[in-house]
Amino acid sequence: MNRRRWLLHIILRALAHRRGRTILLLAVLAMASSLATALGIVSSSMEKRVAEEVRKYGANLIVLPALARLDVGSGGLNFGVVSEPAYLLQRQVESALEQSGLKAERSFHLTGALHYKDADLMVEGVNFSDIRRLFPWWQLKGNWPTASGEIVVGNDLATQMKLKPGDTMELVGKAQKMRLRVSGTVSSGGEEDGLLFLALPELQQAIGLEGQISLVRLMVTAGGDSLKKSASALQLLLPAAKVSEVRQTARTSEGLLAKVKLLMLMVTAVVLISAGSSVAGTMSTTVLERSKEIGLMKAVGGTRWEVMLIFCGEAAMLGIVGGVAGYIFGVVVAQFITKTVFSASAEFIPWFVFVSLGVSLFLALLGSIGPMISVFKLDPVRSLRGE
Amino acid sequence: MAELIIETTNLTRNYGDICALKPLDLQVPEGEWLTVMGHSGSGKSTLMNLVGGLDRPSAGSLQVGGKDLLAFTEDGLARFRREFVGIIFQQHHLVPYLTAVENVMLAQYFHSVPDEAEARSSLERVGLGHRLKNRPGELSGGEQQRVCIARAIINSPKLLLGDEPTGNLDQKSTLMVMELLKELRAEEKFTVIMVTHNQEVAAWGDRTIYLNDGMLVREESRLKVAEV
Repeated sequence: MNRRRWLLHIILRALAHRRGRTILLLAVLAMASSLATALGIVSSSMEKRVAEEVRKYGANLIVLPALARLDVGSGGLNFGVVSEPAYLLQRQVESALEQSGLKAERSFHLTGALHYKDADLMVEGVNFSDIRRLFPWWQLKGNWPTASGEIVVGNDLATQMKLKPGDTMELVGKAQKMRLRVSGTVSSGGEEDGLLFLALPELQQAIGLEGQISLVRLMVTAGGDSLKKSASALQLLLPAAKVSEVRQTARTSEGLLAKVKLLMLMVTAVVLISAGSSVAGTMSTTVLERSKEIGLMKAVGGTRWEVMLIFCGEAAMLGIVGGVAGYIFGVVVAQFITKTVFSASAEFIPWFVFVSLGVSLFLALLGSIGPMISVFKLDPVRSLRGE
Repeated sequence: MAELIIETTNLTRNYGDICALKPLDLQVPEGEWLTVMGHSGSGKSTLMNLVGGLDRPSAGSLQVGGKDLLAFTEDGLARFRREFVGIIFQQHHLVPYLTAVENVMLAQYFHSVPDEAEARSSLERVGLGHRLKNRPGELSGGEQQRVCIARAIINSPKLLLGDEPTGNLDQKSTLMVMELLKELRAEEKFTVIMVTHNQEVAAWGDRTIYLNDGMLVREESRLKVAEV
């Protein structure tokens, strides 16, 4: 039998001999590591769940062109500020987004006016598939455009102009006149209800602003890079634009998540400290009870390190078994919590087994430091005498 | 004359204000069976612990097997013990959760590599071939002591120390153990230092020294002890 196998053999024998205490230590370690696992999984699942919820609120970052501003006044008189529409180059924004590595859903918008009958209508050029992905709550009557020349009209505008799906409209832009077909009417419950939507390239062409946009909506996944950081990074790449957070939803969700995570971390820390103390106490008693055995090992030639290795091995074995059991138990607890609280399943995160093992091993070894020092220092003569 | 395996000069051991062993000069030739006798607290076990490298002297010099034990570190002393010394305890001190053969293998583990066949043969030599897989709790006092002897001789020590090895045994078991030690010594040629209260056990040795209050007070050869 080689030395390693023998070491493992006596470790297992020693643990089996003190079955009651071994089970108690395993229970403590498994409980602590299962809590860390469960809270970790719940936290991760919650992050994803919140991110999904945030998605429903739409974009959390917007990119606007910095307006060209001109102060109007003469002598001591100030007549205010005149600003004229400014645009961003779509290609430039796309390249900046690529460079920033930002993980975000995006939609490009161009706002302009098209003449219809005797009025100018506010029109927004969009990519309809982006709109459907980013604003899933918009309610549509009819169909989303599938071919060129099809448009969607906001509910309020449709009522005002007496438009319905299937109608055709003749719209005149600065550069081009177009005949368009209404494929559907849409309601967002916001200002979009007064707009007319058509495909971005078609509007760009009609008003002579090819390749230009006036707004980018981004939905950065919450819980990843903080929004503020994402906004700053993008701002650096787009000096001609103003990158802003749509604060309310994103900030609230991030803040709430951070607070819940902190709470979980504190609960875990308290449990880990109590578990560590419990392990330390039990290991100390074990070492005290086994002082004659330790003395004997030293008397027959075991060096302090060799004897300590046996006890460290026992602690490590407990840590490993406790960690694996803790992972399994933690996954079950996480499922229970997410089902009860979020009415959803916890995600399966296999690598959390290492977190559980790490926590359990750390506790087992940390709790054993004091007892190990005693093992190290123990005088064989005195311990064999039972002193 | 045989070479000296143990040589002490003014060997002293104090525990605080108590002098457990007063300056002692002692020479033990290789292969000798030396018995140490004396009342409780006379310094017998202290002497044995010192020559076995289990304890350190407060003063004096101590050479065992040509090695100056005072020069060793604590782990150096542990290595000295596993290479050079076999110890038989009065209370056996067997690991309760290991079988007889595993208890012997424990000494092999600290010495080099555990070898079950060798450990079995060692137990067979002490007449315990049929009790290999029994744990200490399932063995009689005499059998436990024989496991202890098998463990002490497994690494072929040059020096065998017995701290009242028959102190807990009945007369029959005592005789069996002493005969066994005599046989093993004849085969292995190790030096024996045995602490005992028992005059009959002392008679098995070549020489007996008497300690009283930490001092060597008398020394007798085998014949004289046998007469007693």
